[in-house]
Amino acid sequence: MLPIRLCSIAAVALLATGCVNNSPTLGSKNISYGDTKAVETVTNEFGSTDLQMIAESMTRSLAQSGALQGRPVVQVYDVKNKTSEYIDTREITTSIKTQLMKSGTARFASDNTDMQSQVDQLKLQNQSGLYKPSTVNKTGNMLAAKYRLEGSISSIVKRSSDYKDVFYKFSLQLIDVESGVAEWMDEKEIRKTTER
Amino acid sequence: MRMKIFGVLAPILALTLLAGCATPPPPAGSAASKVVPLGRMENIEVGAMRVARENGFMTVKVELHNTSFRNKSMFYRFAWLGNDGFPVADEEGWKSVTLYGSQTSFLSAIAPVPKATDFRLEVKTP
Repeated sequence: MLPIRLCSIAAVALLATGCVNNSPTLGSKNISYGDTKAVETVTNEFGSTDLQMIAESMTRSLAQSGALQGRPVVQVYDVKNKTSEYIDTREITTSIKTQLMKSGTARFASDNTDMQSQVDQLKLQNQSGLYKPSTVNKTGNMLAAKYRLEGSISSIVKRSSDYKDVFYKFSLQLIDVESGVAEWMDEKEIRKTTER
Repeated sequence: MRMKIFGVLAPILALTLLAGCATPPPPAGSAASKVVPLGRMENIEVGAMRVARENGFMTVKVELHNTSFRNKSMFYRFAWLGNDGFPVADEEGWKSVTLYGSQTSFLSAIAPVPKATDFRLEVKTP
């Protein structure tokens, strides 16, 4: 009799502990976080892997080329999208800027989007009379870029009854602002094929 | 008597066999010690490596060989380490490479930061 009672108590305890949620998660089991660095082949449109590969390849090639001596100031222009699809090219330039900054090889001047905020802030500090004069940043001291970085992405798309082939070509060049000479250039090619 | 001798010899034989089967770890600093296969590599061998420092950045070239007559693909990425053996940069994205049947090809990579002094090559076949 006693063993049966002991067994049933143990079974109840086991069930009770089984019901306790020890996992630090909440919500549906159908949703999960994935590897942001995984090779993404969901469709053959421009995707996260293409963005990562382009930024990585261009940044490392430029940093290692020796063209950026003495951490020069660089002005980055938006990448021209010459493909037939929508690509947020600003994310390509942001990734390239971030990785170059982390490599310690370049500094960046305010680009087109940042410039208005930069000018507004300088005007506010110098013209509003709101700030303690000793803390105000003077106008006329912004650093001009020694180089500009310009890129473009184009694609060739071909379809047949069995295949869809997309060929991307990303080109980037570093140009000396004073002389207009291209000091460095590189390109990255990506081919993605879908077999139907 | 015969049984007694067998009883002594059997464990020695078993130990010898086991030692023969165990793969010794690759010597530190060798090309093999830099490769981290995630699972069994199917038909792709990682060969010689060339490591250099160009304009302050570590550069690596790695030989790959497809031992099959069919086209094979694999995934790879580099992890860049500092003097202390710990990563000096964010994780790289995985990349895919295809080798034609019996082809020997080369991967090349540049470290993201000058601080990188060592690397690991993670490889995986689909």
